[in-house]
Amino acid sequence: MNSIKTKSSSAALLLLLLGASGGAGAVPFTQCPGDDFIKLADGTLVPGNDAVPDQYLPNPISNLPDPTLPNPKFRPEVKCMHLSAGDGFVNMADGYPQYMFGFSDLSGTDTTKAMVNGLLGAEFPAPTIVLEQGQQFYLDLTNVGMANRPDLSDPHTVHFHGFPQAMDTFDGVPDNSVSITMGSSLPYFYNVVEPGTYMYHCHVEATEHMQMGMLGNLYVHAAQDKSVAGAPVCAGSTYNHVAGQRYAYNDCDGTTRYDVEVPLQLASFDSRFHDASMNVQPLPFAAMKDNYPMINGRGYPDTVNTGILPAPVDADGLLTNAHAERPLGKPSQKINALVTASVGQRVLLRLSNLSVTNHYTVRVLGLPMQVIGRGAREARGPSGTNLYYQTSHVSMAPGEGVDVIVDTAGKTPGTYYLYTTNLNFLSNNTEDFGGMMTEIVLNP
Amino acid sequence: MKSLFARAALATTTAVMLFAGVAINAEARIAGTSGTVVGTTQTFNLVTSADYITTPDGGTVTIWGYGEVGKPMQYPGPTLKVRAGYTVVINLTNGLPNLPGTSAPMPVSMIFPGQTGVAATGGSAGVLTQESSGPANVVTYTFVAGQPGTYMYNSGTRPGLQVEMGLVGALIVYPATENPNAPTKAYDLADSAFDQEYMFLMTEMDPKIHQLVEFGLINQVNNTVSHATLWFLNGRNGPDTMFPDFAPWLNHQPYSALPRMHPGEKLLMRVIGGGREQHPFHTHGNNYTVIARDGRPLKSSASTTIDLGYSDYTLDSTPGTTQDAIFTWTGVNLGWDMFGHVPGDGSSCTPDAEGLHSVATDANYKEPCADHTKPLPVVMPENASLAFGGFWRGSPFIGSLGSLPPGEGGLNLNGGVVFIWHSHTEKELANNDLYPGGILTMLIIEPHGVLIP
Repeated sequence: MNSIKTKSSSAALLLLLLGASGGAGAVPFTQCPGDDFIKLADGTLVPGNDAVPDQYLPNPISNLPDPTLPNPKFRPEVKCMHLSAGDGFVNMADGYPQYMFGFSDLSGTDTTKAMVNGLLGAEFPAPTIVLEQGQQFYLDLTNVGMANRPDLSDPHTVHFHGFPQAMDTFDGVPDNSVSITMGSSLPYFYNVVEPGTYMYHCHVEATEHMQMGMLGNLYVHAAQDKSVAGAPVCAGSTYNHVAGQRYAYNDCDGTTRYDVEVPLQLASFDSRFHDASMNVQPLPFAAMKDNYPMINGRGYPDTVNTGILPAPVDADGLLTNAHAERPLGKPSQKINALVTASVGQRVLLRLSNLSVTNHYTVRVLGLPMQVIGRGAREARGPSGTNLYYQTSHVSMAPGEGVDVIVDTAGKTPGTYYLYTTNLNFLSNNTEDFGGMMTEIVLNP
Repeated sequence: MKSLFARAALATTTAVMLFAGVAINAEARIAGTSGTVVGTTQTFNLVTSADYITTPDGGTVTIWGYGEVGKPMQYPGPTLKVRAGYTVVINLTNGLPNLPGTSAPMPVSMIFPGQTGVAATGGSAGVLTQESSGPANVVTYTFVAGQPGTYMYNSGTRPGLQVEMGLVGALIVYPATENPNAPTKAYDLADSAFDQEYMFLMTEMDPKIHQLVEFGLINQVNNTVSHATLWFLNGRNGPDTMFPDFAPWLNHQPYSALPRMHPGEKLLMRVIGGGREQHPFHTHGNNYTVIARDGRPLKSSASTTIDLGYSDYTLDSTPGTTQDAIFTWTGVNLGWDMFGHVPGDGSSCTPDAEGLHSVATDANYKEPCADHTKPLPVVMPENASLAFGGFWRGSPFIGSLGSLPPGEGGLNLNGGVVFIWHSHTEKELANNDLYPGGILTMLIIEPHGVLIP
């Protein structure tokens, strides 16, 4: 029933509607300082916007960026991103096709084509947002509409979960701010001053839009990463920076240093809720019970598949997110959850739980964990008392984020497992082996 | 959704007007009762009874609640505000209806987790404590309020059923040096000082259990298969949480859960897990610092400060426990002027030691001076592209009200900065199948000069 043809026609209908509604702000635009050109596949620049700042102006003959022509509007601290919000599909680890709402990353593409590029583009999880402390983050959100639910006119937002000293203007909560309607774009601005592990999600009709999949990883690298090699990492510290070393926080003593970082976001779907949404049925809020537990948008063994999963298909094998301008569909699960390190390396796990239903506990079998932060703060008391602790399990409520260092020094190479000890969630619905599990592959 | 928030809208507007209209309101910020105070003894006369509460999805639910004798029974029970070192005397009687086919109600009682030396006299012996078996059967609980902190009380009789039915409340012990009606700190520690104080008691209900009780089928209640579909903050489901204390149409749900503060102030959150499930309470706007658990400051034994406190953005409340946290907000490091000042507009910013504007009589008191007159880095879209929240000011700036289409906004009359505070188990943001609701409220950061009682 979910043939390409059906999808294409509803998509076309939507485009038509959006095109026709024209008037108010219907042309999506982005607000990225220094973005004056679109970079084409061959590297040449043409006038326009793609939500990527242009450091150099084009050479008048080659149209390639010319390092002798710096863009006066370019500021190195500016980071831009252009997200679309809409609907789409994913396949669960047992193959079950799942309708979803979600984000996709349109950065680097012509912003005037945001509608067609974003349509049916929902990804799970949402594109990971990686920021550097000190950046000014300009985020534009374009609502591309719900191609499979033309009856819905839902606005969308981005909520930067945990952003400190926030302003409601950019907090992405529809009840006390604004949200963006179909065919339009909303800017967000964040002055990024606190490193740590955050998360992001849509906050419109939060229970529904989050259950439907509008969830993603978001973290901020510490300024201490940019310390001078051989010099103390902060004034008064006896810990000297080693070139290339990175730190979860500005710890001043190197205790949060790591070699490998992996964000692992826990989430889970209730397929009955998704199916009800797909089929325009009343949504079962009170009966919500998740049956597809996942890490980074996948159930095991998809979690350890380092590839991009194929474009989603329905039960008949037909592409579900194809449309007239994109007949081959589009992959919607791009992020895996495999952790790979070499013996001796320190692995930073940026753990978060964005389930809308359940607390989850995760265990790493055979490797020690040290909790070094939570809530996007280093685990220190108000006067600096060290509150780190060793553990083999981390429990997280929905909305909690925890930073863990796994020190592999002296450990035996091999495959270790990270999995939930809420053991009934080690399954992909009725497929009773999978779910919320991934692997830490330790190489010699 | 619209209609539910419209209802809250009306109420909050009323609340704001009530707050703003009264010149000086001596009422303490956490509503509750200090009982009858004679010398250093505080006496409370409580009675349990059955009645109905209303839920915002249009339902009514039979509950059992504690109430002060002569006042409506309530959910949660009266917040008992006592002073450390005082003797607390609670006389409890049982006004529940008789069990079907018998001439007596199910016995009830009270237990006080975290208190020691509780003496229970009268009534009849139960498993955990003495119980009251009827209107004339008085149980008296007596204890000396121990260390300051946030505590709870609940029925010690068949608590799996009776707490579900509503027999739960808060007990707050203020430091001996503090006036419970105008407190300034939570503990005998300088870093537990606060400017505003609010309670967040989280519970849940499975309406099916309440129907069985209402229909006289208590023996069919099976707690092991209970499935909560109603989620409460201070005994109310969102958006009722934003109505004022003692809103007359919520006769048995007297407690508001609408925190308000000014920029730079410290807001004490007394978070109580009153039910039987965990609820992760997420504070939009900023991290808080947890300063105490179960009425004990997070400090090492030799320390005179809360040296083991920690910062976080989601506070996981577990059943039967309490946590105290301090939240503050200045909007520092936004990178733009939150007031929308422009050079030459006559405004000024004179930084104090923290870099915040120091002239208390100015509207921009506590403004982060480093961002003074910095322009908003982006252009907000035109109104026709936007959907609006009822609390939206119509302006990106604090204290200013922008133009909005007819029927939009209207809940934020002072132009405060508003953040939603809610359970991040988002399925708890519904009342049965209706979103929004449940454990949900708003923090309003009012501009300086706006009176917060």
